[in-house]
Amino acid sequence: MDLVVSNLTKTFYKKPVFSNLNVSVSSGECLGILGPNGSGKTTLLKMISGLMAIDTGYVQIGNENVIPENIQSRNQVYYLGHEMGFYPGLTGLENGSFILKLYGQTIDHLSESFKKIGLESAKHQRVQFYSQGMKQRLKLILASLISPSVLLLDEPHSGLDKEGRDQLQSLLSRWKEDGITRIIVSHDESWLKSNSDRQMHMEAN
Amino acid sequence: MIEFRSKEILSSMFIFGTSVTLIFALAFQVNQSIMQQFAPGLFWVVIFFTSVLGLNRLFIRERDANALWTWVGGPVDRGDAYVAKVIVSILLILISVLLFLIPFFIFLNLSTNFSWVHFSSILILGIGGLSTIGCVISGLTLQAGLRDVLIPILFFPSASPVIIATTKSTELIFRQKPVSEWQFWVLILLTFFVIFGLFGYLIFNRVVEE
Repeated sequence: MDLVVSNLTKTFYKKPVFSNLNVSVSSGECLGILGPNGSGKTTLLKMISGLMAIDTGYVQIGNENVIPENIQSRNQVYYLGHEMGFYPGLTGLENGSFILKLYGQTIDHLSESFKKIGLESAKHQRVQFYSQGMKQRLKLILASLISPSVLLLDEPHSGLDKEGRDQLQSLLSRWKEDGITRIIVSHDESWLKSNSDRQMHMEAN
Repeated sequence: MIEFRSKEILSSMFIFGTSVTLIFALAFQVNQSIMQQFAPGLFWVVIFFTSVLGLNRLFIRERDANALWTWVGGPVDRGDAYVAKVIVSILLILISVLLFLIPFFIFLNLSTNFSWVHFSSILILGIGGLSTIGCVISGLTLQAGLRDVLIPILFFPSASPVIIATTKSTELIFRQKPVSEWQFWVLILLTFFVIFGLFGYLIFNRVVEE
């Protein structure tokens, strides 16, 4: 699904993060975003996912405008970022079921996905006892099961060990084959170059 | 589900409600007829303060663990999430009130010779009114630094019509007055509940946005 970001402006306490930003990602394409801290990479992803209010400009996913009232636009996109947390008092399986149900997905394959990604023994454990890497793996499970039209990956390999990175790599290949539009934010330039079709640099204001 | 597992909010609300009731019982050493006049006001003051405890904690789990963004980013009507929060808030306050209701009547030596059906209806309406406005304020202050201070500052004045209406109607119910004498206060409570309920439902989409 095509993604269009047009004349997007975001200001925090009168300080602009970016002004009149234009980005266009074609269906099935993977855009890599690079840039220093504070350049607005995460802010951009949050605005695309509908988590953050848009000051001026617009974001369009397919034919849907991203506005808080438009539930359909949020149905097309999944944001896998470090700010997306889980309920610590619920188990991994319960958190997964809750999120999949939010997206109207079946939970039939959830349990076996835990096994595939190496979280089998921790699925009945409360998320408060999960490490950063385990939480990241859980997010990857959910991203693969939700299978959205647009996937926003914010530092997807953060916290992952060698095995986790390999699993991420195979998921990235699968998403590419499935024609999912992807935006990946990373500080690892060489990794990003090998995993995205083109790269965009954002500068701090 | 998490709350019913940990009972964190519920136990603190119950302990607080019972403690305040005990303080009132020890502070007001008066005969039953005078206490019967004070009791409605004291009762709603206890509910008022107890509900602030609950409202303070209502979004805390989502906020602390960033779980909020998971459902805010999901394809759900955020107004529905507001309705769910109001229902949870009503249930939590209602359960805690039911727990300290018996100590309240025993410690303050109050007569129970009045219509419990009428009293229950005012109780539910009042708690409903407090929850509708309380959830909006709790959501509004979600990302504020001084959240614990802001909630009472905003909640106390905005919920004062509920406290006035509930206290007045409870007083008349305790005095076994006919419905016609206190139906005006019920209308105020209903109006407040509907207006703030709709207001919260409609604006919640914007309230939880970052």
